Amino acid sequence: MAPLLLYATCAVGAVGLYLILRPGAKSLRMAGVLIGLAAAISLGLGLLKTAAGTLAPFDSVPGAVASEGPSTVFTGLFCLIALASAVRMITHPRPVYVALYFVLVVVSSAGLFLLLQAEFMAFALVIVYAGAILITYLFVLMLAQQAESEDDLRALAEYDRVPREPATAVVVGLIMVAVLSDALFGAGPDGQPRPGGPRGQVTASEASAAEWALLDKLPRSRDAAVRALVPDFREVVLTDGRSVVIRDGAAFVTIVDGEGATRELELPASAAPNNTERVGLALVADFPVSLELAGVILTMAMFGAVVLARRQAELGEDQRREAAGLRRLTVDGPDELGDDGELIDEARAGRRSRG
Amino acid sequence: MITAVAHSAISLPTSMLASAFGGAVPGVLQGPLQGPIPGPIPGGIALVLLLSAALFAIGLVGFLTRRNMILMFLCTELMFQAAALAMVAFGRLHMDISGQVFVIFILTVAAAEAALALGLVVLLYRRRETLNAEAWSELRE
Repeated sequence: MAPLLLYATCAVGAVGLYLILRPGAKSLRMAGVLIGLAAAISLGLGLLKTAAGTLAPFDSVPGAVASEGPSTVFTGLFCLIALASAVRMITHPRPVYVALYFVLVVVSSAGLFLLLQAEFMAFALVIVYAGAILITYLFVLMLAQQAESEDDLRALAEYDRVPREPATAVVVGLIMVAVLSDALFGAGPDGQPRPGGPRGQVTASEASAAEWALLDKLPRSRDAAVRALVPDFREVVLTDGRSVVIRDGAAFVTIVDGEGATRELELPASAAPNNTERVGLALVADFPVSLELAGVILTMAMFGAVVLARRQAELGEDQRREAAGLRRLTVDGPDELGDDGELIDEARAGRRSRG
Repeated sequence: MITAVAHSAISLPTSMLASAFGGAVPGVLQGPLQGPIPGPIPGGIALVLLLSAALFAIGLVGFLTRRNMILMFLCTELMFQAAALAMVAFGRLHMDISGQVFVIFILTVAAAEAALALGLVVLLYRRRETLNAEAWSELRE
């Protein structure tokens, strides 16, 4: 796939997006959908074809679970769903449907997270994004939207039907894709891969050794794994401050068992820290300050939301002076005491005597 | 090889830049025409990375074209989503868990943004009884 072809395909996709965005005849929009779909599929297939000539997606990542065809199929499928619902999101005239299409984007990227072995984040995404943030958006949308007829598009607000400057926006988007794909797949200024670029890949044994080494920081999890094998062990012996030794891809610990004898034990693969444990450990061990800052951000956001959402009471000049502990300016102010004339007179008399 | 594609892809704009600048391109912009090719990014991860670029661009287009204030903020959420996808994909590429930890922070910022932005939008809606962003266009003066 030549670079010119890459940019041309992106441009064709952009034309398709423009046709979909722009309010016009239905046949033109259908043509836009077809053009965009063709561009997306050919871009994806071209990308996969050029990726070392193989359709096996994660195979060249060292340490990947050997998985052939299916995950490529699923990756492509989730990518297409996410892309299509994102396009529908920015073109749909009904705001509530837009929010629902965004849920579809979130769910399909959660599927991609599963394929990328980020199980905890996949579920957190569905719970936090689709479950909490989107519901807030839906609530506000429904609060702010007037009741409208179900079928008649013309009953919708004009600002939801007619996009603002679609051509300019699509050109900006095309430039954005070009810059981003260059940043993602291009090389650095000196011809070397960018720092932390694909050269930074670690081998399978390094990755699994790093994973097993985490067990040293999770002593309770390690002891539970050992106890499952030897119920009456006394302690785990540390060598050079480490308890887990990697040999031939397998992990070993040295323990003192119930009779006081020292022996070596091979840990089963299931004893390795799982995704949730690794994320949690990295969160509290590597990024503690960021975690605290996240808490501060959330607290401040809560305060901000409370301050913003409070209904602003319209105070008159007298009420403001009263709140500040000053005397009222007007004697015949609004009757705050009710319709009873006597009461008001009494109150006025009292105020005069006080003042 | 995807990187071979991308490699030549970067040389196109930089060569155009070179001719525009009369051959003298600032060092940062200078792309490689020849040189060692970085290791391949596996196809599945390349697909996800391209998807994240596309989602970010679509979010940007949506932010520019949408005129409903709530939907504009929803499009920024789409951009957050694209950033999260790129984080996880790169984390997978380098077998590094930090990518996933950063997604947690992205979620935090997205939640804070949703709370504040929606509060502001409700406030603005009460003032003008419309969600049209152009109702506030006199603010630019």
